[in-house]
Amino acid sequence: MLEVDALAFGFPDRVVGRDVTFKLARGEAMCVLGPNGGGKTTLFRTLLGLLEKHSGHIQLDGRDLSSLSRADIARRIGYVPQGHAAYFAYSVREMVLMGRTAHLGALATPGRRDREVAQGALEALGIAHLADKAVTDISGGERQLAIVARALAQDPGLLVMDEPTANLDFGNQVKVLEQVGRLRQRNISILFSSHDPDHAFLAADRALLLGEGRALEIGPPREVIRRDSLQRLYGVDVQVIAMEAGRHVCLPTLKHL
Amino acid sequence: MTRLLVFVAFFPAISFAQGVVDATGREIRVPAKVERVYAAGPPASVLVFAIAPDKLVGWTRAMRPHEAQFFDERYAKLPELGRLTGRGDTANVEVVLHSRADLIVDVGGTGASLAALASSVQQRTGIPYALFDGRIESTPATLRALGRLMGEVASAERLAAWFEDELRQAKERLARVKTQPLVYYGRGTAGLQTGGRGSINVEVLEFLGARNVAAEARAGLVTVPFEQVILWDPEVIFTTDPTFWKSVWGDPRWRAVRAVAARRVHLSPHLPFGWFDFPPGANRVLGIWWAGRLLHPKEFDVDLRAKTREFHRRFYHREPTPAQLDALLGEPGVVSR
Amino acid sequence: MKFQAKYLIAGAALVALTVIAFSVGRYPVAIADMLALLSGQAVAPNVETVVFQIRGPRVLGALLIGAALAAAGTAYQGMFRNPLVSPDILGVSSGAALGAILGIFLSLDILLTQLFAFAGGLAAVGLVYAVGARLRGHDPLLALVLTGVVIGTLLGSAIALLKYLADPYNQLPAITYWLLGSLAALSPREVLHALPLMLIGLAPMLLLRWRMNLLALPDDEARALGVDTRRLRALVIACATLMTASAVAISGIIGWVGLLIPHAARLLVGPDFGRLLPLAMLLGAAFLLAVDTLCRTLATIEIPPGVLTALIGTPFFLWLFALARRSW
Repeated sequence: MLEVDALAFGFPDRVVGRDVTFKLARGEAMCVLGPNGGGKTTLFRTLLGLLEKHSGHIQLDGRDLSSLSRADIARRIGYVPQGHAAYFAYSVREMVLMGRTAHLGALATPGRRDREVAQGALEALGIAHLADKAVTDISGGERQLAIVARALAQDPGLLVMDEPTANLDFGNQVKVLEQVGRLRQRNISILFSSHDPDHAFLAADRALLLGEGRALEIGPPREVIRRDSLQRLYGVDVQVIAMEAGRHVCLPTLKHL
Repeated sequence: MTRLLVFVAFFPAISFAQGVVDATGREIRVPAKVERVYAAGPPASVLVFAIAPDKLVGWTRAMRPHEAQFFDERYAKLPELGRLTGRGDTANVEVVLHSRADLIVDVGGTGASLAALASSVQQRTGIPYALFDGRIESTPATLRALGRLMGEVASAERLAAWFEDELRQAKERLARVKTQPLVYYGRGTAGLQTGGRGSINVEVLEFLGARNVAAEARAGLVTVPFEQVILWDPEVIFTTDPTFWKSVWGDPRWRAVRAVAARRVHLSPHLPFGWFDFPPGANRVLGIWWAGRLLHPKEFDVDLRAKTREFHRRFYHREPTPAQLDALLGEPGVVSR
Repeated sequence: MKFQAKYLIAGAALVALTVIAFSVGRYPVAIADMLALLSGQAVAPNVETVVFQIRGPRVLGALLIGAALAAAGTAYQGMFRNPLVSPDILGVSSGAALGAILGIFLSLDILLTQLFAFAGGLAAVGLVYAVGARLRGHDPLLALVLTGVVIGTLLGSAIALLKYLADPYNQLPAITYWLLGSLAALSPREVLHALPLMLIGLAPMLLLRWRMNLLALPDDEARALGVDTRRLRALVIACATLMTASAVAISGIIGWVGLLIPHAARLLVGPDFGRLLPLAMLLGAAFLLAVDTLCRTLATIEIPPGVLTALIGTPFFLWLFALARRSW
């Protein structure tokens, strides 16, 4: 689905990260871990074509990213950004419908099929009851779910989610992670970033550690998320504890004064 | 002997010209010899120039060639001094100081705010600032007062006497007029701006006793809706805007007005200073004859060329050539059509 | 209330207002005459002139200009994601003013002056867009707004200079009058000239009304959803400028309509551009028609529309704001 080769990315005047190479297959989920300011968001924006890459290759479904139009990309990748400011009081339903834009002709407006897809996305995320409320009237977490629904409505093969659990309460965090699992079963690839390494264990097939200006390690979470790699990435002491049934959990050691 | 001593003792005081009271009631004290006079606006420029052209320091706006042709070259080339906006701009006051004028004169409005501004400039520059009434009928008095201030009593008296005589002649002819037409003064490119009762812009018309259709409006410039003009249906229209005059003939809306149908839309001559409205100064005495002829041709059968020649000679110190007269009076719209 | 009902009410109000506007005026026109004119019978020539040459263009002009300004304001408020934006934000009014004042200063005839105004409006926005687009590394919208403010100020100082240099007796009143805005001088010709230009500006906005909703999202999100935001924005700016410039060229600067009416419409039907645009145009047309009809009938003299738009618009808006229960 997504092939990245020796990618160096950043802003016009500086490189933020390099040496990113991986392939993401259909139905695979990869979690990008890294410190604040490490470049996770910049990486995602580059993969979406919102930011020019410095060097390397990005291929989507076998085609070079730069050869695709914005609409082409939008039909393949759904983007859930970090944080969403709501300026106008669109309803949740209208917001989710916006996800259908790439499937509409330039002059078209959404039709019945589009509405059905949108409704399906709302139900999949359990927010169908919020459909007619204004996005400015709901909580930040609910808004986040609405954005995920909008990305789903794009009918993408790949979902790129930037810290999707950032503003959610514990229950909603779990629901989103469950959603990732369900999407993988629908053969949709997921690329998401998180501030919590446990999420990689819970929902990802592979993890990418992004720190020190490059991709440090890529691989199954069980292999790359270790005490030493986390120390290198975050600069804190974290124990990775194996539990029954092959599950792992991270336990930070807090320094007591 | 005592009388001689008293006279000598008080001589210094008498040698300064006695103060003249201007139209705002302020006493203006000027030095014994006034050689340089700063005219703050075009109506003032005309009067000062007429009384003593060599004493005028400059024009408020540099003369364009078509205006300059009516003056001797040395006068046409007098420097541009700008208007005294009266807002107390530093730049303007500096220009006044730089001009080394002995006296500042303005002719026009005489309200309280203008008087205050004049006093302020006077205070800051030390130059006496006199304001005089700009209305047509006040012109002789203004001329005489200016003459006293400038030390040119004889010259001013000749002008004032002539002006009074012109007004008297006009009034005599007016007395014979039996009917007064309905008149509209259309300003601006659309012709929808006009002057209400008592505005200085329609003074010529009011002097001639014409019935201003816009008399119900307050004094000053107002804009009126088109329908209102059609409702008023004036018989004669005067204007000072050539663009409006040109457009009025082809515009189907104006055809509804009988003045247009009768081809009685008149464009006032405007060189070197307008005859009808701008500037609202002494030059309007020509406008009285011109408009009078158009409104009451029988009673006002005057030789306009002769009047123009005489006015120019007295006020602009130069008689226009026949060619210049032709151009002045023959411009399309000036007479009719 | 369902939004279709709101449309119906707005539409009905507009029709009623138009009928009233046609029937009132300083020149008395009897209903019988109006009916006769409608059925093609002859009436007194003056009546015909008043209705077809004076009142007609003025009423139609008010409808057109009101709708155009409201549409442009709606588009900009969505695009700049800011309810305080008016159609003038990119300098179209300053540019048009400079063009018109130049025309007055050079004593050009009316048609040329209007052409100058129109060209000036387009040129100003073109300049703002060209400069704003060069400012890389900044949020594109912020770059546009800042450039618009800067160039608008620059044009404003040029206008001030021309006012100072203008002949105070002749040209300055004409300039001041133009800056106040007025529909008094509208003739059939002006309306005929402006109409196609406004339609050209309006058509793309109507056709693309769904996509325009996406301009209300942050740039990254809109692009990720498949919209070429740069091109869409350029198109919106071009359309809004075309409509505003042609309006300002024939009527001078009339404020408040482009700012207040989109708000009012948004309070009634919400931000979806597809619903918002038609209602904003209906309301804009009705509002300006009402204001202008008052301007020309209240007294013998004309009241500048800018005065009444503010006086009437503000309480009307506050009333709507109190009624509505939703936010922007």
